[in-house]
Amino acid sequence: MRIAISYPPIVNERGQVAMVSQNRNVQYFKIPTYLLPVVHAQAATWLRDLGCDVRWDDGNAQRKSFGDWYAGLLAWRPDIVVFESTTPVMTFYWRLVKRLKGDLPGTVVVMTGYHSMRRPEETLQACPADVVVQSNHVDFVLRKLVPFIAERADWRTACTIEGLCIRVDDQTLRATGAFKRVEDLNLSPDIDRDLVEWKRYAYENGNYLRTPGTYATSVIRDCTFGKCTFCRYNGPDLTFSVRSVERSLNEYQRLIEDYGVREIFDDSGVWYRGEQARAFARGLIDRGLHKRGCYFGFNTRFGYLDEETVALLSKANFRFVLVGLEAADAETLTRLNKGYLPHQARQNLELFTRYGLHPHLTIMVGYYWQTAEQLAGTVHTVRELMFKGLARTLQVTLCTPLDFTPYHRECLANGVLLTDDYDDFDMSKLIVKTPIPHEAYYRAIRDMYGVAVDPRFLLRQLGFLASGRVRDWEFLFRYGWRALRRVRNHLYNLTAHNEPTLSAPR
Amino acid sequence: MPDTPPHLVQSVRHLTATTYVIRIDRHAFRAQAGQHVTLGPHRFAINREYSIYSAPDEPFLEFLIKARPGSESALALQRARTGDEVDLAGPYGEFLIAAPADRARRYLFVATGVGIAPFHSFVRHYPGIDYRLVHGVSRLEDRYDLADYERGRYVACVSRETGGDFAGRVTDYLREHPAEPDRLCYICGHSAMVANVYDLLREQGVPSDNLLTETFF
Repeated sequence: MRIAISYPPIVNERGQVAMVSQNRNVQYFKIPTYLLPVVHAQAATWLRDLGCDVRWDDGNAQRKSFGDWYAGLLAWRPDIVVFESTTPVMTFYWRLVKRLKGDLPGTVVVMTGYHSMRRPEETLQACPADVVVQSNHVDFVLRKLVPFIAERADWRTACTIEGLCIRVDDQTLRATGAFKRVEDLNLSPDIDRDLVEWKRYAYENGNYLRTPGTYATSVIRDCTFGKCTFCRYNGPDLTFSVRSVERSLNEYQRLIEDYGVREIFDDSGVWYRGEQARAFARGLIDRGLHKRGCYFGFNTRFGYLDEETVALLSKANFRFVLVGLEAADAETLTRLNKGYLPHQARQNLELFTRYGLHPHLTIMVGYYWQTAEQLAGTVHTVRELMFKGLARTLQVTLCTPLDFTPYHRECLANGVLLTDDYDDFDMSKLIVKTPIPHEAYYRAIRDMYGVAVDPRFLLRQLGFLASGRVRDWEFLFRYGWRALRRVRNHLYNLTAHNEPTLSAPR
Repeated sequence: MPDTPPHLVQSVRHLTATTYVIRIDRHAFRAQAGQHVTLGPHRFAINREYSIYSAPDEPFLEFLIKARPGSESALALQRARTGDEVDLAGPYGEFLIAAPADRARRYLFVATGVGIAPFHSFVRHYPGIDYRLVHGVSRLEDRYDLADYERGRYVACVSRETGGDFAGRVTDYLREHPAEPDRLCYICGHSAMVANVYDLLREQGVPSDNLLTETFF
């Protein structure tokens, strides 16, 4: 079987390219940010191990034009093509699938991803895709589905693999039942770095202080917490699965020793905590990997890491800690199901920075209830944390309902969505009614990103140099310039839109 | 947001050297049986998710907690005194017996260790429920609050001591006593156990739509 796991280049009218970004969002960027799709990369590796001819077909990372990418795919004549869906690129995919099925009618098109998995009928009615995978465990499903399709001409009616919605014929769709939510991630292979051309993702990523960097095979899929209402890793259909510490340590060792990787990030929704986090740090130290010039990083949440763990992580050469500070007021945190209180954010940041970690804040604005006072509180808190050195970097996004998350469903139920055109869900503008004008949220974004050029922030970074840590020098003199370039890019992405029809306040 | 009164500790009932039930004020906190919360000592930097052990109509909230070495939050709560304040957020989760019609169904509950907490809440809240509870424990002392389960419905699978109802793990028990395919099966505990039991029940013919899982971390 010839399987293409494909990410087509998608370019908007401003010449920006749709990139898979944090939390499997798609955002349009002028300056590229290449994030390795970890689960799909595991799927590609697994299928290759099963003897399939696999085409890793990321047109973005391969810097292809759409025309070149499409022509290449047609020429390869795959038996199966796998796409990853999310709300802002759905209409693109539907058009693409129609065209592809016209050109390659015998090719089976499999849609994966969090949008189509929650509305499979919508996608199967909007385009001639053959299968929608309703499981987040794309690798586990594909390694069963692909051999089944290869062996059985009657696969559309005979397949009983759970977690699928299958087009039987023009009139009939067939669901195969709930999928297995918890898988043993040790069964899925480590990503074959050569197969996915890892170096294409090793440099253009704002989270790396040192390059080449890479994403580890995630230790947690999707998120141990999994309750934040805006997050696609939340829903009755999802929970988390775990990979063993030992298995992951072996991969880190290979990445450092065989590939010369200098920064490794684990993009698990939330990384290990407690004993597993400590065991991982001790494992790095025992293997001497903490002295090999490679930094480590992960996503976490406030309230998960205690002092003993943070101290060990620091000793093991962890640096980058990405943590969501979605707001600074208790009401918003409660409504978002964040499960922590504002004081815990500060306490945790103090702990991280005491041990030399570099916290990266991910902030959101534009919730449909967010008042001027709440917004000002978030801006004030974020600026203060940055000026005090309690966080090193930040990214601000507009909270956009996506992929039928609880927040998305809440927006639909409350009638606050200003558009039902999926193309508008690209996180470049607010698409919900808000109690204050949208411009206030865009201004808040500018205020927060403005920290990067504020003398108070720069002075604080100079102050860090006294610590004598190499990472602080690198942060200021190497990373700083890159960060400024990315801040301009983010500001443009998030504030360039100002379409009157969408910006009317409630 | 309206100010809510603080949740104060009413008692800590020690079941073993490491496992305890902490009871706190409920106030107006509402949750369904099977849901969980985040809980930690007041103004503590760390919190953890815990399934609610008590029933939704009881005038207090209880949590069954195992304090492992290094689990800072659980150890601090174990030391809590009456009147100490805790921070609580939630409730969360959809590990529920939701539809009234479902309560007439037959259930299989499978848990290990303190993963029994949501099932304790189910049993307290739905007294007429037709269930079999298969509980995996290391030692006999880990059969928490045995008297709360109807005689003959609770099966202790004890792996590191002799005694109990079955010698071995829950998977060993289920291999010897297969689930009836029409049972609604709920599995709660650590990831590996949940994955193994799920596969076993599927092999025994339980449809995936009849399997609900809650994973502890």
